[in-house]
Amino acid sequence: MSRVHPPNIPNTLRSKRRASALRAAAFMSPWLIGFSVFFVYPMVSTVYFSFMHYDGFNAPSFTGLKNWSYVFTSYPMFWPALRNTLWLVVIMVTCRVVFGLGTGLLITKIKSGVGVFRTLFYLPYLAPPVAATMAFAFLLNPGTGPVNSLLERVGLPSPGWFNDPAWSKPALTLLAVWGIGDLMVIFMAALLDVPTEQYEAAELDGASAWQRFRFVTLPNISPIVMFAVVTGVIQTMQYYTQPMVAGKVASGVIGGSGQQFEPGYPDKSTLTLPQLVYNLGFQRFDYGSACVVALVLFALSMVFTAFLMRRRGGLIQAGE
Amino acid sequence: MPAHRRRAAVTLAATASIALFASACTGQSSSGATDDASKETTITFWHGWSAPSEVKAVKAAVAGFEKVHPNIHVKTVGNMNDDKINQALRAGGDKAPDVVSSFTTNNVGKFCSSGAFVDLGPFFKKAGIDPDTTFPKAMNEYTQFDGKRCTVPLLGDAYGLYYNKNLFKAAGIAQPPKTWSEFAADAKKLTKTSGDDSYERVGTMPTYHGYEFTTEHILAQWSPTYFTADGKSNIAKDPAFKAGLRMQKRLVDSLGGYRRLEKFRATFGDEWGPKHPFTQGKVAMQVDGEWRLGMAEDAKPGFDIGVAPMPVPDDQVADYGKGYITGTIAGIPATSTKKNAAWEFVKYLTTDTDAVVNFANAIHNVPSTLAALKSPKLKYDPRFKTFLDIAENPKSTTTPASANGGSYLVTLQNLGYDYEKGKVTDLDKGLADAAKQIDTDIAQAK
Amino acid sequence: MNHSPDARRSLALRRTLVLRWVGVHALAVAAALFFVLPFVFVLFTSLMSDQQALTRDLIPHTWEWGNYRKVFDTPGFLTWWRNTLVYAGLGTVLTVASSVPVAYALAKFRFRGRNLSLMLVISMMMLPPQVVVIPMYLFWAKQLDLSGTLWPLIIPMAFGDAFSIFLLRQFLMTIPNEYLDAARVDGCGELRTLLRIVLPMAKPGIAAVALFQFFYAWNDYFGPQIYASENPGAWTLSYGLESFKGAHHTDWNLTMAATVLVMAPVILVFFFAQKAFVEGVTLTGVKG
Repeated sequence: MSRVHPPNIPNTLRSKRRASALRAAAFMSPWLIGFSVFFVYPMVSTVYFSFMHYDGFNAPSFTGLKNWSYVFTSYPMFWPALRNTLWLVVIMVTCRVVFGLGTGLLITKIKSGVGVFRTLFYLPYLAPPVAATMAFAFLLNPGTGPVNSLLERVGLPSPGWFNDPAWSKPALTLLAVWGIGDLMVIFMAALLDVPTEQYEAAELDGASAWQRFRFVTLPNISPIVMFAVVTGVIQTMQYYTQPMVAGKVASGVIGGSGQQFEPGYPDKSTLTLPQLVYNLGFQRFDYGSACVVALVLFALSMVFTAFLMRRRGGLIQAGE
Repeated sequence: MPAHRRRAAVTLAATASIALFASACTGQSSSGATDDASKETTITFWHGWSAPSEVKAVKAAVAGFEKVHPNIHVKTVGNMNDDKINQALRAGGDKAPDVVSSFTTNNVGKFCSSGAFVDLGPFFKKAGIDPDTTFPKAMNEYTQFDGKRCTVPLLGDAYGLYYNKNLFKAAGIAQPPKTWSEFAADAKKLTKTSGDDSYERVGTMPTYHGYEFTTEHILAQWSPTYFTADGKSNIAKDPAFKAGLRMQKRLVDSLGGYRRLEKFRATFGDEWGPKHPFTQGKVAMQVDGEWRLGMAEDAKPGFDIGVAPMPVPDDQVADYGKGYITGTIAGIPATSTKKNAAWEFVKYLTTDTDAVVNFANAIHNVPSTLAALKSPKLKYDPRFKTFLDIAENPKSTTTPASANGGSYLVTLQNLGYDYEKGKVTDLDKGLADAAKQIDTDIAQAK
Repeated sequence: MNHSPDARRSLALRRTLVLRWVGVHALAVAAALFFVLPFVFVLFTSLMSDQQALTRDLIPHTWEWGNYRKVFDTPGFLTWWRNTLVYAGLGTVLTVASSVPVAYALAKFRFRGRNLSLMLVISMMMLPPQVVVIPMYLFWAKQLDLSGTLWPLIIPMAFGDAFSIFLLRQFLMTIPNEYLDAARVDGCGELRTLLRIVLPMAKPGIAAVALFQFFYAWNDYFGPQIYASENPGAWTLSYGLESFKGAHHTDWNLTMAATVLVMAPVILVFFFAQKAFVEGVTLTGVKG
């Protein structure tokens, strides 16, 4: 960035460089504007507002660290949201990766009807999140949903799913696992890239199926597994639509029904950080505290993004 | 970008952003009603009703108004909730509404203290209407905050007790319970278990997720004082809260315990659908609003539905007949440029006896003026009278407005959930913590 | 029977193969049921009467195709369709137009700050939209008076979308430099090279980006919730679907019919553009 030009570059070269820099700037210009207006400006502004009291009506006033201490020590939703995020990172991301890898493997083993199966496995991933959540809220409705009626028919206990704090996150996990089409495709591509000679060699050594998976497949696809895990974590940080819609539908508090929907239904069990930004910013209109949560969310996302970019090899390479 | 230029850019961005919020403060329009309400004009009215019959009722009310004020046209936008209203009020602009109504009283405090709605006091004075003698006491209370009347009641809801007469007869219970002790005894008598761990029916579903059996509705019967004069939470000091929460907990325990009841509750249908457990005979007594009567009859339950006021604490038998009151409210946003025309509409909708009566008849809610409550034009099922009486009863209570909206009710409700579940065992400490939380939240909102 | 050892071994081998075939396919069928049954139940429920939709029946007694008509007759539903198409269509065009040159520069130019730019693009790609929503909302609503419309969601797409830039850059990296050099030797300027040589070769990448962006807008719930919620005339399908449920309480049959109508276009588009889509997923593996 701050490297100084060597002084003895011939003029033609220098002007050529200037021309190429200009050219790059011209091609990059849409993004440069977008980056400044939609990223730099709001980030600066978010930091600024995090120290202000602002309700949207009266002019912002400086409050020092009040919003920060409110969010960390008194805002009753903050820690539950972090705990839920941790739960989702550990359980939901793991389930998604395991099932994604499982279906990927299954697809590579299938001899007939691959195309049909691949399409069927992939379809749920395409279902718009609001529609998919709506569908699952219906399927898992404890009173009248088909899932519980099937469970009862075979004599299994029927959980309260989106209505029970102990089952709401598992229900969301089920919904997330349903839509693993993206991971399946990525794993499929990675699995097909594993050199067949390695399998043949392992087979000659008398390796069992599990050993072949453990010592040939896994090492070969580990960068992709890593990638799936890290992007899964980042997606979990952004998890918003599904818990919000599921909570609204399950609690029955939607739209014009009079009550305000308090995110996290039931019992704060589905709260995530982005929902806190909504609750503080657009329900309580405490823009300052909303900005504090936004900055926490930013910091967490960036830690994992840095991890994504720094891993040598398989992940996103920032360089060549 | 060289370092110094980068720094310059950051500074520039910072300055630009500061310039932006500096101009971002909405000009606090002082009540500034300068429009001429006798000129041809169109105002926008936002409301929350969405069902076809309700939308029809709103249209009819508007038609009635336009007949009296042919120069003022009203454009209605339905299905609005408070999230949307709040957001639109902050955004301002010319798409913003001139009259807003909301189903919940929770945000009245915010609307008043933030200056989002204009103070209607001067308008009332000019029109020669005294709100104190026009509206029932509780409704009059929840439409103002800190001495500012920034909203008006537009129909009300009164809460009472619905009971299954057939089951009562079968159990040999002659009349609906008057006190919570009687209520608990009846509930136990009406409960029928099935197997070791389930029910065929419960006398009542006493957990706070049991639809309208919520902390604020139940506690209302103890006539609690939510805030001290200086605006601090009073829930740890007023013994009403402890008494109410305790009664509910005892009820939960005596009917089989939280776990078992919640498991049964999970099999209930939607509160707003025909599969409501009360109409299905799964629940014998249900605390609910006046609207349930029509809904329950529509579901053709196959038994006689009885209606009574909610029970009272054993030491307050004399006050039997009171209940919890809430309702829809209407107000005029500070951003409206047609406040005088908007006032004409609000005045008509909320204080014209016939208008209120007709609207109440169509929506099946409780009318919100004292005159309308007595109007002979009010059409209702004889049982509905119970709710009219509750609405008129000066001992009926409501939940007061607060600077940060309904947050304090949510905090109290969460304490209720934790207490009934057994997560909180020391109720005094629980109430003290909740009071502290409420105070912190209000301080944060100010 | 007297089989030779060889034949016996091949028989055993064949038996294991058959067993494995059966096992794998049984598993695949089970998985397929898991993925498909929710759609089936939703579809069946959407065709039930409102009374039956509340029962535990799984298959409709009478097939109520009229439910779909009722959904279309719901006030606003067609407006939501139109808004969604505008948001998704216009947004896609703008995104592609603004992202291609940026991706091209990042993939094929050598300039100082390129790696930094790429890192920033990736960071922005990973940024939850809620991080900057407060100032952005104040900006659009208070400065430009554009709340209650979808413009705050569409306009930014004219300034490059991080995900699309990244995906296109990955794709353009795979185009050998020799093609570009040849064009440059022929005297083409960079813009001409981009338009004449690169664009035709990048068609699959552009198609993938366009699809992703279309789906993104179609699925977006947070954006319309923030910017359009107070104006039902500006709602999109994803946002409107929720309020549809709110207005129809327990008419699950109608809600499910509406759900089907929100899902169907995405799935149809997928069938027509399956190849481009799967390629796009494989190329980056991020988001979708």
